[in-house]
Amino acid sequence: MNETIVAARALAKTFQLGKLEVRALRGVDLEVRQGEFLALVGPSGSGKTTFLNLVGALDVPTSGDLVVLGRRIAELSRAERADLRLGSIGFVFQAFNLVPVLTALENVEFVLELRGMGSERRARALAVLEELGLGDLAHRRPAELSGGQQQRVAVARAVAARPRLVLADEPTANLDGENAEVLMHLMRDLRDRHGMTFVFSTHDPRVVAHAVRVVTLEDGRVARDEEKAEEAPHEILPGIGKAPEPPRG
Amino acid sequence: MAWVAARYAVRSLRRNARRTALSVVGIGVGCALAIFMESVNRGRDELFARTGAESGSGNLRVVPAGWRARRDPRLRLADWQADLAAARALPGAKVVTPRARAQVLLAVGTHVVSVEMVGVDPSTEPAAFRFVRQVGRGRYLEPGERGSAVVGKAVAERLRADLGDEVLVTAVGRDGKIESAMLRIVGVVSTGSEEIDAGICQVPLPDVQDLTGLPGAGEVTVILADWRATDAARDRLAPRTAKGDEVLTWGELSPEFRGHMEQDKAASRFVRLVILLVVFLGVASAQLAAVLERRREFAVLAALGMGTWRMVRLVLQEAVALGLAGAALGLALGLPVVWRFSTAGLDLRRWTGGSFAFQGVLLEPILYGDLGAWIVPFVLAVALGATVVASLYPAWFAARTDPAAALRVAQ
Repeated sequence: MNETIVAARALAKTFQLGKLEVRALRGVDLEVRQGEFLALVGPSGSGKTTFLNLVGALDVPTSGDLVVLGRRIAELSRAERADLRLGSIGFVFQAFNLVPVLTALENVEFVLELRGMGSERRARALAVLEELGLGDLAHRRPAELSGGQQQRVAVARAVAARPRLVLADEPTANLDGENAEVLMHLMRDLRDRHGMTFVFSTHDPRVVAHAVRVVTLEDGRVARDEEKAEEAPHEILPGIGKAPEPPRG
Repeated sequence: MAWVAARYAVRSLRRNARRTALSVVGIGVGCALAIFMESVNRGRDELFARTGAESGSGNLRVVPAGWRARRDPRLRLADWQADLAAARALPGAKVVTPRARAQVLLAVGTHVVSVEMVGVDPSTEPAAFRFVRQVGRGRYLEPGERGSAVVGKAVAERLRADLGDEVLVTAVGRDGKIESAMLRIVGVVSTGSEEIDAGICQVPLPDVQDLTGLPGAGEVTVILADWRATDAARDRLAPRTAKGDEVLTWGELSPEFRGHMEQDKAASRFVRLVILLVVFLGVASAQLAAVLERRREFAVLAALGMGTWRMVRLVLQEAVALGLAGAALGLALGLPVVWRFSTAGLDLRRWTGGSFAFQGVLLEPILYGDLGAWIVPFVLAVALGATVVASLYPAWFAARTDPAAALRVAQ
């Protein structure tokens, strides 16, 4: 059995929106083990993003217990949570959120620089981009890339420092079916080759199909937790990155 | 070295080129004004200090014990020769000259004038007292001569005396008796200020010694090559003077003059502060707007693990880049003006008429700005200081961005 890297017990999060109290999570019990490829599904407002924010140490729980990579999130200071994210957690966002004034290579390099990596960071960033089929596009800025390419750069940025945990919030929501398929193959491949743990939220049944474990959240609680038999390692779709996609729009 | 962060900071300035350009122009104009003001201040300080010192007080003066409280012209130095030698050996001393003063009555026929007669060394006095450098009529005293006097135009007019006339000088001697001597007017000085002309009466030092019966000198006046080194020079000279004698600075000799100079400087500092405040507010406003526009981007950076201080540093890097550009523009705008001002000067007579006097000191009518190597560090300090300080709040605002907002917005 792999090591447990996320352990949530009776995890609750309440937001105060003016006079309105929103109970986003109402007692989530969930464990995530090293190397899992886990999809969080559920309707809008079910608490997926809130759960990812808490696991990603972006926020602290209102009650309950959450231990991520051996650190109890509620006990960490703002700076300690930033250090935890920088050292061990990668993020992929729905809207890509690349820094527009930096090239693809620089976007990836930036995270490595934040981690204090020295002269080898450029080579590492380039290697990760090439691994994701973006070697030819390394010097383009986000505006010169298609949505699919941007999201692959975002994945490169998330995994460049080899974090143990990668969190992705609706990573395919802004992609068409083909690009969504490519992205899931890439993420699955990275997990297979580097042993990273991927937790991603999604509405897309085609994306869910790639998950090894599917956790369904409803009304801030875990409604279902299904584990599928592990398939053979995925292969990267042939041709990715070989012929750059034309920029959209 | 955080090269990617630095590139990010610099390129971020190009996102809103118009706002950046306006900020740079604001900083540049502010810097140019600050350079000009500083140049005027330095030039004015130099003018006041030099003309003040060369109007009689010197930068330093060795005086007898008790002179500071009584200001009695009959007091004499304990060992004026030793004081003179010590002052001449002082590094940075440009002119050193002895003087002996006596309150006298000058009389020609029935006309009498009361004046402070100053016994001087004719070989060094003109370098220390600028009003006798160019004698209007006649000549100045010559080294070694006796029985001659140079008087101000107002003194000559009140005596109804002219060049070559003999003047009866009467003073109270050492033992309280009336002493008198005859002196011949060899030169008449016209400074343009009747007040100053009415106080000029110079004779060779031995004539004052003989008239008063008081040997030696009452003061040794020192003019320094750099007036800013006055305090340090005083500290060096004081232990080397004769026992009992004291070294005073020009500020101690003329506290009113110094006080007015300080007031003037305070007013200039206030104007500079207003300029800096305008630059400061402009930059703060522009930087805060830039940070607000990128709030989501900062949230993403925070989510990726960028800590508070790194975020502050990132925004401050932008401020430094902005400040450097503003400093360059400030130099480009300010240097030609300061160069012109430092070479052609500003003729104060346009505003003051014929003469320009300040606290009883007749000043030279042309004010020159100061142009020196100080300008580059000065403009960098102004530009970077204003932009970095103005960016502290926007930087802190960026650093406190809630990283959860990035995912929430993206949902």
